[in-house]
Amino acid sequence: MLYYLTKRLGLSAVVIGLVVLVLFSLLHFIPGDPATIALGPRATEEAIARYAEKMHLNEPVWRQFLIYIGNALTGDLGLDVFSDRPVTAIIMERICFTLALVGAGMGWAMLLGIPLGCLAAVKPNSWLDRVTGVLSVGTIAVPSFLVSIWALLIFAVQLRWLPAIGAGEPGQIGDQLMHLILPAFAIGLSWVGYLARMVRASMLEVMGENYIRSARAFGLQPRRVIFGYALRVAILPTITLIGMGFGGMISSTVFAEIIFARPGLGKLIFDAVMARNFPIVQGAVLVATGLYILVVLFSDILIAWFDPRVRESL
Amino acid sequence: MIQTTTRRGFLGTTAALGALGLAPGWTTAAFAQSGNTLRLRIDRDNNVLDPGFMTGGTEIEAQKQCLPFLAQYARDGETFTWEPTYFVTKLEQSDATHIDFELAEGLVWSGGYGAVTASDVKYSYERMKDSDWSGYFEALDHVEVTGERTGTIALSKPFAPFIMITLCHGPGAVLSEKAMADVGGKFTTKFPAVCGPYTYDATPGQRAVFSANPEWTGPKPAFDRVECNVITEVKAAELAFEAGELDCTSVGADTLARYTKDMPEGTGIAVAGELQYMWMGMNTEHPKLQDIRVRQAIQHAVDVDTILQGAYSGTTAKSHGIICPGLTGQRDSAGYSYDPAKARALLEEVGVSGLELTLRTLNNQERMLTAQIIQANLAAVGITLNVLPLDGGPFWEMGQESKGDTWKELELWLMRFGTTPDPYEATQWFTSNQVGVWNWERWTDEEFDRLYDEGVNETDQQKRHDIYVRMQEIMENTGAYVWINHEPEAFGHSTDVTVNAAPSGELNYRRFGMG
Repeated sequence: MLYYLTKRLGLSAVVIGLVVLVLFSLLHFIPGDPATIALGPRATEEAIARYAEKMHLNEPVWRQFLIYIGNALTGDLGLDVFSDRPVTAIIMERICFTLALVGAGMGWAMLLGIPLGCLAAVKPNSWLDRVTGVLSVGTIAVPSFLVSIWALLIFAVQLRWLPAIGAGEPGQIGDQLMHLILPAFAIGLSWVGYLARMVRASMLEVMGENYIRSARAFGLQPRRVIFGYALRVAILPTITLIGMGFGGMISSTVFAEIIFARPGLGKLIFDAVMARNFPIVQGAVLVATGLYILVVLFSDILIAWFDPRVRESL
Repeated sequence: MIQTTTRRGFLGTTAALGALGLAPGWTTAAFAQSGNTLRLRIDRDNNVLDPGFMTGGTEIEAQKQCLPFLAQYARDGETFTWEPTYFVTKLEQSDATHIDFELAEGLVWSGGYGAVTASDVKYSYERMKDSDWSGYFEALDHVEVTGERTGTIALSKPFAPFIMITLCHGPGAVLSEKAMADVGGKFTTKFPAVCGPYTYDATPGQRAVFSANPEWTGPKPAFDRVECNVITEVKAAELAFEAGELDCTSVGADTLARYTKDMPEGTGIAVAGELQYMWMGMNTEHPKLQDIRVRQAIQHAVDVDTILQGAYSGTTAKSHGIICPGLTGQRDSAGYSYDPAKARALLEEVGVSGLELTLRTLNNQERMLTAQIIQANLAAVGITLNVLPLDGGPFWEMGQESKGDTWKELELWLMRFGTTPDPYEATQWFTSNQVGVWNWERWTDEEFDRLYDEGVNETDQQKRHDIYVRMQEIMENTGAYVWINHEPEAFGHSTDVTVNAAPSGELNYRRFGMG
C-alpha cells in the first residue's frame, strides 16, 4: 500500500510539473506582447514597464520559469496584474464556492442516480427500467450549459421560484442554499444518468453471482440482499466514476458559474482569461488540476480500502 | 416490497421537495431585497480605485459615489455639456488657461481626515501628471491654492476640453491628501477616505456594496444602498434583469432590438451616449490601395445600411465621421454614398481587375458579421475579400511600427475606438505624429494638424464645430475610411427607477431616481 501511495504521489507530481510547464508556456505562446495584451492597447509605457518588471518579463525565459516554479513551491502563485493582491489569496476566497457547488451537484446526482440504478437492475426490463434508461440517456446527452440556461429561464425568469444570480448573502445559510439549487441541478443532472447507468450495469452483473443467489436461497430480506451485499460490490466501479466525475464537474462549473454569476474557480478563470490576467489564469488552473488529481487519487485509495482484492494486488 | 417502499420513498421525497419549492413565503423570503436598495450590475471586480492607476469603467462609477468631483456631465438638448457639482459653489474659466473654483462648505472626509480643502484638489490633480492617466492632465501646469476652500487650476496652454474630459471624468476625482499620505500615496481596493453620499465595501467576485455615508452632509440620494453584482457576461445580466434581480443593466444589441420591438412590462430603455466610432480603414501606402480611386471605389461599394441591420439589428446610429452623436462637430452626412455602379466605374477607370484584398478584424460576432457583409459587397464590384479574424493581442499591434512589420502588409481592417464627450480626443489619433502608432491609414495632412491645434485652443462652440467638421472632411477625402456606426451605451431598467449615466456609459448611482 505504501509503495502504491508513493508511486501515485510521484506520478501526480509529474503531472502537476507538466501542467506548470504548459501554463507557463501559455504566456509566451500567445501572439503579441504579454504586457500590451494584459494592460490593453493604450497602456502607457510606464505601466507596461511596471508590468514587465513585476512579471519578470525582462529576464531570460528559463530564469522566469525557475522563478515561477520556485515561488509556486512555496505557495506563492504571483500577484494579480491589476489589484496587486496575492493570487493564492484570491483563489482561496473562491475555491470554497466551487467545492460547495461540485459537492451539491454530485451529492444530489448520487442520491438520485444510485437508487435509480438499483431499482432498474432489480426489475430489469420493467417500465421503471425503461423509463430510467430513457431518462439516463437523455440527461447524459444534454450539456450542462444548456441545462443551466433552461433552468434559469424556467425557474428564475418565468416562475421566479429561485434566484438567478450570485451565491447568496454571506452568513445566511438559507439564502446561500437557495442560490445553490439551480447551478447544482444544472451540473448534476447529467451525472444522475451516468450513475444510474453505471450502477444498473454493475448491479446486474453482481446480482447474477452465486453468493447473491445463495443469500436469496437462505431467505434473506430482498432489501438486505440488494443494499447489504450486491450494492457494496457493485458500487466499486461507481466510486472511480464519481472520482473522475468530480474532476469533470470542476469543468462544468465554469459554465454554471458564468451563467449564474456565481463566484468560484471557473468564473475566476474565465474572468481572468477575458482580462488577460495571466497570473490568475495560471494559478487557478494549477489549483484546479491539483484538485482533480487529489480527488482521483482519493477515489483510488478508497477503492483499495474497500476492496481487499484491489488492496492485495497493490 | 422493495419496489413499493422505494417508489413511495422516492415519490414522497419528490413531493416534499416540490411542496417546499412551491411555498411562496420560503422562496421569496430567501432572496428578496429590501425596499430602498438599488440593484445593479458591474462587469468585473473593481481592482484599482485609485484615479491615477485605475483601469476605468466601473472603478470610475465607484469614485463618483465616494469622492468629490468639481464638475459633472449634463445634457443641453441633444448635446453634452458640463455643470458644477454639489461639491463646488464656483467653477469658472476666468481665461483660456485659468479655472477658478471654490469648494462648498461643510464637506468632510471620513475617518477623521477633516474638511475637504483646496490643498486636496492641488494634491489630487498634480499627482495625476505622473500617473497612468497623465494624458488627461497634459495641459495642467499647477493648481494654485488661494484659500482654505478656493483655488485656481492653471493650464500650461489653452485646452478647451479640460473641464469636459478631465474634471467630469474619473481622473478628476479629488482625494484626501492626509489620508493618501497614511496609505503611502497609492491605493487599490479600499478608499483611504471618502466624501460622498456612499461608503464602499466589496466582496471580490460577488458584489460591491455602497451604503449611506453617515458623515455625508450633502443632498441625500434616492437609494440608501446600492448593490452592484459582479456579472461578467452581459447575457447573464440580462437574464438576471428579466428575473427581477437587477433594477438596471447594460444590454446588448440583440436585446436592445428585442426590447425596442416589444418592450416587456415595467421595463424602460435608457441610452447614455454613443461614444464609440467604428470604421473600415485602408492603408494608403499599400501598393494595392495607393491609387485613391481604388479606395474611393471601396467607399462606394460598402452598403453600411445593410451592416447596421444585419450585424447590429438596427440598434446603432449610422456614422458620418469620427465625431459621435451629441458632440460638437458631428456631421449630418458623409461625402460619399453606397453606389456599386460608381465603384465599378472607378475600378474600371484605374484599370484594376481581379483585385484581392484582406480585411482584418477582431473575432467577435458583430465584427465578423460586418466583415461578411463587406465581403459580399466587394464581391459585387469584382473585389475578392479575404476575412482574417484576430484575437485582441495581434489585432491591436498590427498597425504599430514599434510592434513588428505587420503594418506593411495591412490592407483593410475594421476598427472601433471609444472616446470622451469632446471631439478633441477622437481626432488626436490621426495627426501626422500618429502615423505608425494609431494612424494606421498612414496619411498626413498639414491642414489637419493645424486644425487639431486650433480645435484644442478654441473655446467658441460654433468655430469648434466648423473645425472638427472640416477635419473629418479631410479624413474622408483621403478615401481611407468607410464610416460604419456609433454603438450606443444602452441600459434596460425597471420603470421604478430613473437612470443617470455619463455619455461614455458609466452609471452615477447617486443621481439615480425613483421612477
